[in-house]
Parts: sequence; C-alpha cells; structure tokens
Amino acid sequence: MTGRVLRFPRRPLSSDAGRLAAERVLKTPLAERPAAAAALRLEDPETVLALCAMLRQRLESAPAAVRDEAEFLYRFLETPRREIGLFDEREYFLGETALLAGTACRHLSRRVEAQVWFDRSEAGFRHTVNAPGDLSRLGYQRLAERLEERQIDIVLELLPALIESFRSLEMTEDALKCRFLEGLALMETDELERAIEIFQDIATEAGSLGSERLAASAYANLTHVHGMMGEAEAAIAASMKAIPVLRRLDDRIALAKVQWGIATLLRETGQLQPAIEAYRKAQEEFEAIGMRADIAALNLVVADLLLEQGQDRDALREIAAALPVISELQMAPEGMAALSLLRESSRRQEINRQALRELHGYFQELRA
Amino acid sequence: MRRPDEVESLFSRTLSVIHSALVSYYRLTEDEARGAEEDLLLWFQRLARRGGSAQMPVKLLRLSLLSAACQYGRSFQLWKLGGADPVDSDLGEILAREPDDVANDLDRTLEGERS
Repeated sequence: MTGRVLRFPRRPLSSDAGRLAAERVLKTPLAERPAAAAALRLEDPETVLALCAMLRQRLESAPAAVRDEAEFLYRFLETPRREIGLFDEREYFLGETALLAGTACRHLSRRVEAQVWFDRSEAGFRHTVNAPGDLSRLGYQRLAERLEERQIDIVLELLPALIESFRSLEMTEDALKCRFLEGLALMETDELERAIEIFQDIATEAGSLGSERLAASAYANLTHVHGMMGEAEAAIAASMKAIPVLRRLDDRIALAKVQWGIATLLRETGQLQPAIEAYRKAQEEFEAIGMRADIAALNLVVADLLLEQGQDRDALREIAAALPVISELQMAPEGMAALSLLRESSRRQEINRQALRELHGYFQELRA
Repeated sequence: MRRPDEVESLFSRTLSVIHSALVSYYRLTEDEARGAEEDLLLWFQRLARRGGSAQMPVKLLRLSLLSAACQYGRSFQLWKLGGADPVDSDLGEILAREPDDVANDLDRTLEGERS
C-alpha cells in the first residue's frame, strides 16, 4: 500500500491578486526573476495560472516571446523541484507551460524542439486529475505539427477520434477548431472547393458559438483559398470579415496569412508586381513576430515571380536568402530533395525552376 | 450564472458527499476533514480555470473533484498510519481500492440521487 504525503502550503493569492502578480512577473526581465521569485509570488499557483492564461492569449501575437516565457516557467517549476499548489497542480503547470512552449515552437517552425516540448507536456498532464481535456489539447497540437510535416493520411486518420474526445468533454470550440486541420489538409491535397465548404461551415458554427477568433481565422483561410482560385470578389469579402477582428484580437499570425492570401490572389490574377509588393508586406508582418520559415517560404515565391519577369539575378538573391533558413529548419524529405536541387542550381547561377516550385509549393500549402 | 458561481455551487452541492467520504471511508477526524475541504475548494476553483477544464462545463468537473477528495483522504490516512496496518478491515478495504474507483461510485450515487 503506497501513498504520497500531502503538502500544506501557505494560503495562496486570490485570483485577482494572481493576475496582478503575473503582470509584474512579465514586466520583470527573465534574468532577474529567480532572485526576485518570493517578492514576485512566482511560486504561488494563482500567479502561475494567470501567467499561463496570459501567455496563451499571446501565442498568436508574439510566439517567440511566449516560447521564452514558457520555457522560463517550466525550468523554474522543474529544477530545483518546487512544490507549487495543491495535489496535482505542479504537474499541471509543467504540462501547460510545456504545451505553451511547444505550440510557440510550432508556430516558429522549430519542429524538433516542438516535439520535445510536447513530450514534456504529456509527461506532466499524465499525472493530473482531469487529464483528458488537456491531453486532447496536446493531441490537437501534435496533429497540427503532423500536418505541417505533410503527414496528411495520419492527420485524417486521427482527427475523428480527437474530435470525438472534445465532443465527449463538451469542449465545443476545440472540437470545431479541429475542422481547421481538415480544411488545411484539403488545401494540401488541392481539394479547394471542399476546403471552402469546411471553412464556411467553421465560420457559421463559430458565429453561433460566439467565437469571433475562430470565425475570423476561418475567414482568413477563406481569403487564401479564394486567392488560390483567383476568385477576387470572394477573397476580398473574406478578408474584410477577417481583418478587423484579427486586428482587435492582435492575432498577428492570421493577419500575416490574410496578407499572404491577398498576395496569392494578385499573383493568380496576373498582377505580378503588386503581388510581389503584397508578399513583401506579408514578409514584414512575419518578421515582426519572428516567423522565419514563412519569410523564407515567401522568398521562394517572390523568386518564382521574379523569374517570370526575367529578373534572374534578383531571383537568385531571394533564393540565397531563403536557403540557410530552410536548411536549418530540417524540412521533410521531399522538401530537402528540392532544396538540394536548388542549392546546386544556385551554385551554377542557373535556377532549376521545377525545384524552386516544388520547394515553395511545399511551403505555401503548409502555411496557408 | 457566472462560471465562478457555478463552481462554488457545484462544490457546495457535492460537499456533503465529500465530507462523508473523508470521515466515514477514510476515517479523517472532523477537523482534518474540514481542513481538507478548504484545500479542495481552493484547488477546485483553480482546476476550473485550467487550459482544458476552462472549456468544459462545470458539471463535468464533479468527478475530478471527487477523485481529488478520495486521493486526499487516502493519502492522509496512509500518512497517519505511517506504515502500520489499518485498525479495521473496512478501512483496509477502502485504502486498498483505487481512489478513482471510489470516486466513480460516489459520482454514480450523486447521479442516482438527481434522477
């Protein structure tokens, strides 16, 4: 017969005091926090809970900062072992901070790092009382990561079970969020009409649930799909529904993707120079939030457009800017094959157009 | 009803079952049980604001509350026993069971009372 001895810590902060403490923590430079932990109430569960909620809200506006903050919190809780909160709260906080770090890494295309964080998250959540909801959220992130690695069959196989988990827990927004993966998978397989149906369904259902974030994300994706199909009116209408809400929510990732969608529309309708300018604007938006993979992907798209305009030298410059980033990101095999061809052609100063298209096609479908 | 109020309300409605489990099943004293219940309330209020739990209806968190109460009761009694055998067979049997199983039984009882 075994059992652990319970902890009896001092009375924690109220939830309001926890929020204020969390704001103070975020204003304190990372390096100064361990020494000021007691004054910052960094070991109080209300502070950590509020920090997790704040970081979750910032994932779409500042993924790089969230990654650093979440890693700090995880390390702080883990070593030396700190007995925070009651019962399973330490394990929950380890799981949650690792999930935040992993999700941020996924946005930043730091895939290997994301996977390690997701493993850490599972190790934490596994020991909590109400694990199914949190493990399902982790499952969503893992499937989203698989989608980015183009493992479409696996995503489509596992998605129904995940949706069912969310439904059985009555987590309706999360269940709806899973349908984004379905829509993105259809974009990947070039089934654009069906993808439009999915995103329209999401927008309608999100509206009835009162989730403007999900509705706006659905319209952001609709902008892109209609853009890919050269459907100007529909793409612009979708972007007009997405942009005001995304701006208000400071969802900078989705805003940059809307910009990408508009650039795609311009390209598809033959407006090459305006398309290049629009892609540049999207790059600036990705740069502001540290999404280097997307910047590199757009370098390749712009290179293709430049080639189309006979500007070979400029195109080579774009490719040269993208290659180190793409290489560093350790892309999937087909991406790496195209990358090798391109690297070789870049050395010979003659661009292998097919390799370029394969590589930026790989990126573009992923990032939509 | 606001979510924090829903959380308080569910806790209040479950409290008599929790108290009974702590005192009758796990043989905590009245004082020990009251201390446990204070901790459980704080914990439950935070549980309802966690990433996953916050998306779930409060009613679905009742089983987690009962499970935490049973884990608390069992751990506390084992700590009090300090490795010694339980004084009677009923306590021995409850300590030998998984707290989640006991919590499931309590949850079913509550569900039965409602229907």
